[in-house]
Amino acid sequence: MDNTYHVGMADLVVVSAPAVLITLGLGSCIGLVIFDTMAKIAGMAHIMLPDSRGTKVIEKVGKFADTAVPTVIDEMIKKGASKSRMKAKIAGGAQMFALPGVTTDFLSVGVRNVKETTSMLQKSGISLVASDTGGNKGRTVEFSTTTWMLAIKTLGKGKTEI
Amino acid sequence: MLDLSSFNNLQLDAIREVGNIGTGNAATALSKLLACMIDMDVPRADLVSIYSLSEYYGDPDSVVAAVFVRSFGEFGCSLIFIQEEEDADLMVNLLLRQQFGDSVPADLDPEMKDSALTEVGNIILSSFLNAVNMLIGTQHQISVPGVARDMLASILDVVVSIFGQMGDMALVVNTQLRVGASSQNEENRTISGNIIMLPDPDALELLLRKLQVL
Repeated sequence: MDNTYHVGMADLVVVSAPAVLITLGLGSCIGLVIFDTMAKIAGMAHIMLPDSRGTKVIEKVGKFADTAVPTVIDEMIKKGASKSRMKAKIAGGAQMFALPGVTTDFLSVGVRNVKETTSMLQKSGISLVASDTGGNKGRTVEFSTTTWMLAIKTLGKGKTEI
Repeated sequence: MLDLSSFNNLQLDAIREVGNIGTGNAATALSKLLACMIDMDVPRADLVSIYSLSEYYGDPDSVVAAVFVRSFGEFGCSLIFIQEEEDADLMVNLLLRQQFGDSVPADLDPEMKDSALTEVGNIILSSFLNAVNMLIGTQHQISVPGVARDMLASILDVVVSIFGQMGDMALVVNTQLRVGASSQNEENRTISGNIIMLPDPDALELLLRKLQVL
């Protein structure tokens, strides 16, 4: 049986295989996994917001896309992963409520989370090999270091793997 | 902007009272709409860690139905009316039977159900907001409501996006409405729903001033 790790809100977990990384109920949040199949190391973050600018104290580095991405990479390197082999998958970034005629920053935070996470990965030179983002449905994600697949459960649509 | 961690009990009590007045009005409106008795709880105003928000409300994985509105004006805030999905369906049945009698088909399509649910939520939340703005003497406008059925944790991400940028706490005002068991209610059991008020962080100072606790 693989070790199962639950990644909470704004948390960040880096593990060696065999392991399963799970994060529940992603709405506008992002479930990010970065993995190195050769070193058999994977990291997951539950990102809540796009960027930490304008925030006085950063209590949890996993909270923001701009702090989570570099931290996952660093933690993985510490465990023996190689940056050049790292690949990433992301899921989440939905807009749970749409109010006709109303555009506010916080309702569209999902879109900005996706954009910032994607651009941080690009800046770090890590290729985003699969993603399932946007829409208006919540997602529960599970990453297995046996298959290196990210399973996504959506209410009413069942399970898909990317 | 006010620091949430500096809130004292007197201030939280004053905010809770705002919730009390809003809920009273919401309960009256719902009672008229459904033509039945509504019970309400004493509201709570709590400072909750945004990292454990869904555990505060229940099981992060559980399926809920939620109606969301934004209030614009001097006192900006967001409101959510949230229920277990089963309770939402019972409430919709109750409303439709009340309005259309026995002619309501048993297998109503989901869009109709959501539309009815949105209307109930809208009436509850508008009544709540009217009373609150009357109390503190502010003008307001309410957005068109939005509706979602999903996992509790996903729905509550909206709270996180409101409060997350400024810190790790959210100020939530919670209250529960209960529709009693009645002959109209097929299952003959209590239906409950929660109203969550989320004042905009930058409107908190105004709220406390109006309540004379700042």
